[in-house]
Amino acid sequence: MNMLPGPAQAAAIGLSIAFPLLLLCYARIAATGGSGRRFRLACVSVVVFFAIACIALPGQRHVDDVLGGLLLLATAMMFCYILFSLLAWGFTVTLLTALVKIGRPLTLDQWAAAYMQGGDLGTFAHNRLKLLISSGLVVTADGRLAPTAKGVAVAQLVKLVRLSTGLR
Amino acid sequence: MSFAVGLVAVIVFALLAPALQLMARARAWALGPVILLAIAAVVSHGLGVMLGIFAVPQFQYWNAASIFGFCVMAYVFAFGAVYKSVSLDILRGLVDRPGRRAPVLEIAERQVPDLFRGRIGNLVDGGLVEPVDSHFRATAAGRNMAGRIGRLRRAFGIGDTGLYDFSD
Repeated sequence: MNMLPGPAQAAAIGLSIAFPLLLLCYARIAATGGSGRRFRLACVSVVVFFAIACIALPGQRHVDDVLGGLLLLATAMMFCYILFSLLAWGFTVTLLTALVKIGRPLTLDQWAAAYMQGGDLGTFAHNRLKLLISSGLVVTADGRLAPTAKGVAVAQLVKLVRLSTGLR
Repeated sequence: MSFAVGLVAVIVFALLAPALQLMARARAWALGPVILLAIAAVVSHGLGVMLGIFAVPQFQYWNAASIFGFCVMAYVFAFGAVYKSVSLDILRGLVDRPGRRAPVLEIAERQVPDLFRGRIGNLVDGGLVEPVDSHFRATAAGRNMAGRIGRLRRAFGIGDTGLYDFSD
């Protein structure tokens, strides 16, 4: 068994470790925009660095080495995205931080108001609905929501994934 | 051949992970879904490496690990999306309704508050929040976790609203 990664795979492992550090650096630069844009920028940056490494590293490149490197890099990006999205958009996580931020016991309604920083759960619902609408998964007409064909397909896919991953 | 060994390990993982989730529910194991996914990943990766050592004369560990890591992370990504996504819960609820239509107001005033109460239940079950009469307050563990989340958010330049920023 060969435990040593190829040159491109080694570069991908290094870039995978550097990826969160790059996110930390971009967080210091205001021009990189909001959380989502900054994450996409970091992804593009590491892919560019990986391409440069593949060209610049000495020796001949092998397809399996480059393919393995790309897969390792994509794995690191997905892993970081899961954690990053929990921090940025996690509902339960933000509920907890909102409660702690107020610093005293809250009723359900007060907690909802604290979570929405003065707004109500309707504002939160509209934020999530806006995501579904802008993704073309649902449409609104006369104050009613209806799934598009794409939305129905995604919902069926979600059910299939839930079933195949052992969730109800 | 090493990539093929990685794929065999992925198939083992894709069978083992849902089996563990179903068994955990049927036998009321105290292990969370994420821990079960981690156990499935470690076991299937170990089996894959053993298969590679015995079946492939020139087994390249990182080739197998790269495809295994990528596919498992894609699985975890899909699992996370269908497990706790508020948007997909709303979409699924909409598709399951007779006529596949619902007033926006009903989603905002009934379904989202139900999700809100469900997540509060998760925080209470996790020992991060405790009910006090008709109020809720964070436990010491909850305050510690909120503190860590706050530090990470500040370091990564993430706001504390938990809302999607559509200007992004």
